[in-house]
Amino acid sequence: MNRLAHDELMELRSELLRVTASLVESIPRATQILLEQDLEGAEYQILADDEFDARTMDLEDRCIALMALHAPVASELRHAVTIMKMAADIERSADLVVNICKVARRIHGIQLDPKMRGLIGRMGAQAQILFRHAIQAYADLDLPMAKAVDDMDLFLDYLHRQFIESIFESHSAGTIDLSVAIQMAVTARFYERIGDHAVNVAHFVCYLITGEIPPAGDHRRGGRIGDADSNFEGLTS
Amino acid sequence: MSFLLGLLVGLAAGIVSYLLFAASARNSSVIVTNADSVAEEVQPNEDIESLLLIRDAVNSLSVGVVVVGADGKVNFRNKLAESVTGVIHADVLVEEVVEQHLSIALKGETKRQVLDLFGPPRKVFGVSATPLTIGGAVAMIEDITERYLVDAVRTDFVANISHELKTPVGALAVLAEALSQEDDLEVIHRLSEKMVDEAIRVGRTIDDLLELSRIEFGGEAVKDEVDAASILAESISRAAPLASLHSIKIAMTELPYPLKVVGDRRQLVSAIGNLVENAVKYSESGSSVEVTARSDGDSVEFAVTDFGLGIPARDLDRVFERFYRVDRARSRDTGGTGLGLAIVRHVANNHGGDVSVTSIEGEGSTFSLKIPKFVGREQDMRESA
Repeated sequence: MNRLAHDELMELRSELLRVTASLVESIPRATQILLEQDLEGAEYQILADDEFDARTMDLEDRCIALMALHAPVASELRHAVTIMKMAADIERSADLVVNICKVARRIHGIQLDPKMRGLIGRMGAQAQILFRHAIQAYADLDLPMAKAVDDMDLFLDYLHRQFIESIFESHSAGTIDLSVAIQMAVTARFYERIGDHAVNVAHFVCYLITGEIPPAGDHRRGGRIGDADSNFEGLTS
Repeated sequence: MSFLLGLLVGLAAGIVSYLLFAASARNSSVIVTNADSVAEEVQPNEDIESLLLIRDAVNSLSVGVVVVGADGKVNFRNKLAESVTGVIHADVLVEEVVEQHLSIALKGETKRQVLDLFGPPRKVFGVSATPLTIGGAVAMIEDITERYLVDAVRTDFVANISHELKTPVGALAVLAEALSQEDDLEVIHRLSEKMVDEAIRVGRTIDDLLELSRIEFGGEAVKDEVDAASILAESISRAAPLASLHSIKIAMTELPYPLKVVGDRRQLVSAIGNLVENAVKYSESGSSVEVTARSDGDSVEFAVTDFGLGIPARDLDRVFERFYRVDRARSRDTGGTGLGLAIVRHVANNHGGDVSVTSIEGEGSTFSLKIPKFVGREQDMRESA
């Protein structure tokens, strides 16, 4: 591959890092918007998603152009494929962040109990940590760190289960009604999904370095994205 | 060699013109040599030396400086700018904004933007870029996190104090007015009872305010030898009535050996009493509060743990501010004045100690207060064991 194409690949890499940085930044922002029920912030975050979509779409287009025009091979081909795949995961995660902001609008005026608030905060923090590590692994081409993301996701799954339990508790204690309970269950799923996308990103980092995508761990119920029970999704739109 | 020299001269042109800009912007009387004369007239050696000097000076600024040439290529980045910009995470977001502003500045415009990053840690940057007279542009990155937080504290304080003081006084006025036109004895009784409640409430706020200013401006704290266990016992007895009302158990861990601190007994009891009272207030009925003290290097750490509501992460840094409320709607239920933790912080400062909090919402909080240990003539040998 010629130097021009190599420069383009490096530019794509730097753009991917930038887009991911703003995603990582938006996760705690969305958590706060949800906990504070900040309608203005939610609106802003929802509108900002258009730019996000455009940027990730552009990344994918440029990757395709690069592959078509310069026919990269070996590690450079893997790199182009990796960027394209990651861009899709990042775009989807940004949508999930927007979904969390939309929940803030729907539960406006409803007081959540402290235990749930605490768990939302922790899930948000953990989802952000996962993405931070996944992208750090990409920036440094750090294989052990990429593999660690998988294990870190276990904690997020654990928080997710705890949160669902606390929803049942609150609901049976009569502190939240059914519609809020459903919104909360969906929100928990959003965070858990962001974590799964981070795991996917980390898997692609492994692929970039070794040429092999690690198999989905046996410990994970759903494994890769797509086969997790997606019936919750219908409630969001 | 000549290439290196040329590079340095180019660098200096950028820096000097930045300094020129800074000097003119701040109306200061610093005299800076004209950029052209540096390049042409000064002896090469002196030239390099003065450039290195200027580079050092720019590096020691508390503002990040990024200089680009007319072609848009980065020419110079001082130390602070290097530490806040980068290729990944929050750093790349700062870098992005700097780049945007520099490209605008190259077209001859000046723009300023405040960049609010959630982190963690939370950071607020002011980024601006200005065109340079000899072509190129300079961007400045200022870390204004502290200023932002201080501003928030100030505005909230004014809003909160007027709320805390005006609400009961307003209620008193309305009640008194109603009372003055009332003949029904039963209603008079009810109204006057309410008046007493409100009067007690405003009285308590004023008491706490006075206590706070006494601690704040009272000068040096007394340096007595105080026994930690007795402070804990007294603090717990202060909160005991409230605790038994809500059937909350206050458990004090027995100290394995006597611990002694240096300080003002009254202030320490007030501080730890406040912590225990708070722990009780924000616990659910039937739960427990744990109180303990332990030796930690040169100080004694008092810790009060509850398993109650917890504090949202966002409010964690701010709970020690005067009148700061995590949940204003609840402030009347708990009956606090909003000054308790501010008092604790001032007591800690007065004693050369420190107060900190860790909390998870819905699971509880731990407040710890560190006070210097008493190192006396007859120090207990078992302490060091």
